[in-house]
Amino acid sequence: MSLLKEFSRIGRDLFLSGLVSSHGGNISIRAGDKIIITRRGSMLAHLNKEDLIETGLYKDDSGIIMASTEIIVHRAIYFNTSALAIVHSHPPAAIALSLFMDEIIPIDSEASYLLHKIPVIATKETIGSKDVANIIPDYLQEYKIVMLRGHGAFSIGDILEEAYMLHSTLENACRIIAYGKIFGNAFKEYRKDGDKYTKW
Amino acid sequence: MGKILWVDLSKQSFQIKPLDKNIIRDFIGGRGSGVKILYDHLKKGTDPFSEKNLLIFATGPLTGTPVPMSGRFSAITLSPLTKTILDSNCGGNFGLQLKHAGFDMLVIEGKAKKIIYLAITPDNIKFENAEDLKGKTTIETRNIIEKKEKKKGSVVTIGPAGENKVRFASAENDGRFLGRGGIGAVMGSKNLKAIYAKGDKKIKVADPKSLEFFIYESRKWLKANPITSTGLPKFGTAVLMNIVHEAGILPINNFKSNQFASASDLSGEEVTEKLFIKKRACYRCPVACGRITKTSSKQGEGPEFETLWSLGALLGINDISWVAETGYLCNELGLDTISAGSTIACAMEMEEKGFISVGLKFGKKENIHKVLKDIAFRENIGNEMAEGSLLFSRKFGTGNESISVKGLELPAYDPRSAHGMALAYVTSNRGGCHLRAYMIAPELLGIPKKIDRFSDNGKAGLVAVMQDSAAASDSLIICRFASFAISDEYFSRLLSAVTGEDISTMNFRLIGERIFNLERLFNLREGFSFKDDNLPSRLILENLNKKRKINIDKMLNEYYRFRGWDDNGVPTSKKLEMLGLK
Ligand code: SF4
Repeated sequence: MSLLKEFSRIGRDLFLSGLVSSHGGNISIRAGDKIIITRRGSMLAHLNKEDLIETGLYKDDSGIIMASTEIIVHRAIYFNTSALAIVHSHPPAAIALSLFMDEIIPIDSEASYLLHKIPVIATKETIGSKDVANIIPDYLQEYKIVMLRGHGAFSIGDILEEAYMLHSTLENACRIIAYGKIFGNAFKEYRKDGDKYTKW
Repeated sequence: MGKILWVDLSKQSFQIKPLDKNIIRDFIGGRGSGVKILYDHLKKGTDPFSEKNLLIFATGPLTGTPVPMSGRFSAITLSPLTKTILDSNCGGNFGLQLKHAGFDMLVIEGKAKKIIYLAITPDNIKFENAEDLKGKTTIETRNIIEKKEKKKGSVVTIGPAGENKVRFASAENDGRFLGRGGIGAVMGSKNLKAIYAKGDKKIKVADPKSLEFFIYESRKWLKANPITSTGLPKFGTAVLMNIVHEAGILPINNFKSNQFASASDLSGEEVTEKLFIKKRACYRCPVACGRITKTSSKQGEGPEFETLWSLGALLGINDISWVAETGYLCNELGLDTISAGSTIACAMEMEEKGFISVGLKFGKKENIHKVLKDIAFRENIGNEMAEGSLLFSRKFGTGNESISVKGLELPAYDPRSAHGMALAYVTSNRGGCHLRAYMIAPELLGIPKKIDRFSDNGKAGLVAVMQDSAAASDSLIICRFASFAISDEYFSRLLSAVTGEDISTMNFRLIGERIFNLERLFNLREGFSFKDDNLPSRLILENLNKKRKINIDKMLNEYYRFRGWDDNGVPTSKKLEMLGLK
C-alpha cells in the first residue's frame, strides 16, 4: 500500500469515527532520520500528496513550516521511544473524562485487555507545546496511549494502524464508562484483579 | 491626543500639529493615517521628486507597547518608481524612537538647499549640515551620525543611490530597510541624507490588564506554530526557498523558467550552515527572522529570501557567498535588492536579445557589481537602469523584458504557479507586490487553509479580504509574519486594549477596506485605470506548468464586483459612502 493510501485510510477513519474534527488531529511515521507528518491544518479525511510533509527528525529543515503544529511532540516521542508511528486525535468522550479524572480505567473487556489504564496528564499550554513534548514521551515509555487533559490523545505503534486502533479502543472505553454512569448503580466487577488496574 | 511633527525642509522650520482623532478612528495609524494625510495634502500630478511631494513616517498604536512583532514603522509617499501611492514597512527602531520623542508621525515637505540631516528629540528639532556625508554609504552615514549625536537613538539613512535619485533607492534603518518603491530616492530629492530620532517619553496603553492577556494568547500561537517557532527563527525568511522552488513557483532567469537545479544552494539551510553569525530581531520580536551573516571577506545583514532569489536564482546564479556579498553591496549603496536584481535580469535578457551590450549574462557573475555601482552613481548604462526596469526596457528593448506591474518589479513568486498571486499583483496599490495580499499563504503554505493554486475560482474575494486585512495590520502596525500564527481577531483585540475603544474584528477589516479604497482613489486621481491592472504579457501567454493558464480578466471582473467597483475598476459612490470616503 502506498504511503498516501495508508495515511488517507487512517485519516478518513479517524474523522468518520468522530475521533477528530474536520481539520483536527495529526499522524506521522518515522522513516530513518526523517519524519513524514500531515500538513498543518490538513483535513485528515481528505489527504492528498501535498498533505504529507517530509522533514528532518533530528534536524530542522525548510519542511518544518508546512508540518503539523504538533511536530514538536511527535519528534520528542520518536527521540525517546521506539515508536515508528504516532497518531494524535481529539476523542470527545475521552476528553470529557480527562477533565474529571487523573487516569482513565476502562471497564469493558476489549480496552481492559488492550489498555488497562490510560494516564491523564495536564499542562497549561496544550497545542504545539514544549511542556507537552517534555512530559508525554516519559509516559509513552510505559503506556501506548496517553491523554492530555482537555486536548486529546497521543498514541504510538510499530505501524500506523496499530497506533490508530488504540484511539478507537480508548474512545469506546470512555463511552462505555459514560454510559455506565447513566445507569448509576455500582459497577459489577467481572475481571480477576480488576481493582488492581489502577496499578498498571 | 496624538501628535504630528510637520517639517518644512525648504524653510528649515517645523510645526507640531495634533493628529486628528477622526483619522485615528477611521485609519488607525501607520499606513492608514499616512495614506489619508497624503491623499488630503498632495495635489494631482505632483512630481514625486518635487518639493511638494510629502514623505511621511508613521508609527502605529502598538508601537512601543510590549505586543510581540509590533516594533516596525511605515513610510508613505508618492513613489518615483511607480507614480502610485507607496507605503513601505521597516523593522528598525526609528518608529519606536520617534514615538518616545513624543510624535506619532513625521511629515516632511520641501527641499533643503544643501544636504542635511534631521535630528529629532523631545525638546529639539535640528537641521544639521550633512554635506560631508555626500556619497557615503548607508552604514557609514549611520555610524557618523550616531557618533555625532552621542545618545544612542535610531537613524534612517540613504546611500549614494538615494542621493542620485535612483528610482528604486531604499532607505536603511538599524540594518533593516524601507525597500520598495524608492523611499530613498524621495529622501535624496529633498537633500535629506538621514533622520535621527531619540526619545524617552513613556508610552501608555488604555487597558494594560486586557493587553497582557491578549499578548499571552498571541504568544501561545507564536510558540505553537512551526513557522514562527522554528522555521523563521532557525532559517530566516530563506526557509521558503526550497518549498517555493519545489512547487515550481520560484522564477528563474527573468521568469523564463521555474526550474533551477541549484536552488537548494541558496536555501535557508545553506545560509544557516555557511553564512550565519547571529539572529537579528525587530524590537520585541520573539521570532527574530533577521540574519547577520559573513562570507570569507565581508559581514552584513541578510540575505533575506527575496534577495537570495533576486540576486541569485533569478539571474541563474547559485554562489551563496557571492549573493550575500551582492546583497551587502546593495544595502550599502541603498538599492532595493528586488528591483536591483530584477533590473539586472531584465538587462541580461535584453543583452541576450541583442538590444544592449553591457557584459551581463544569465548564470555569470561578471560585471554585476560594477553595474550595481553604476546604477547607484548613475554612471554609464547604470544611469538608464536607475530609472527602473520598465522605463529601461521600453527605451532600449521591447518593454516586455521588464517583469513588473505598474513599474514595480515582481518578487519571488511566479504567478503562473499561484493564480491568486497574479490577482494580488495586478490589484496591489503600490504595483507588483506580494505583501498586499500574500496569497502564497493559502495557495502554498495552507494558511489559513490550503486552496487550489492553479484555479482562478474564488480567488477574487480572498485577495480582497487579505488586502483589507493587510492594510489594517500595516496601520496597527504589526509584522506581516504575525499572520502566519495569529489572525485578525487577535489584532482587533490588541488594538482595543491599547486604545480603549471597542473595535470589532469586522470593523478592523472595514478600516482596512477603507484604506485600500482610498489608495485606489489616489491612484485613479494620478491617472491610473483598469488598463494598468495587468500582468506582463509573458506571464499570461507562456505556460510553464502545462497546467491551467491564468485567466486574469475573469478574476479581475469578479474582484471589481466583490469590491463594489464598476467595470472600470472605479469604486462606486455607494461603496464610497459605505466607507465614509465621500
Ligand atoms: S518576524 Fe522578522 S520581520 Fe517580523 S517583526 Fe520579527 S524579526 Fe521583524
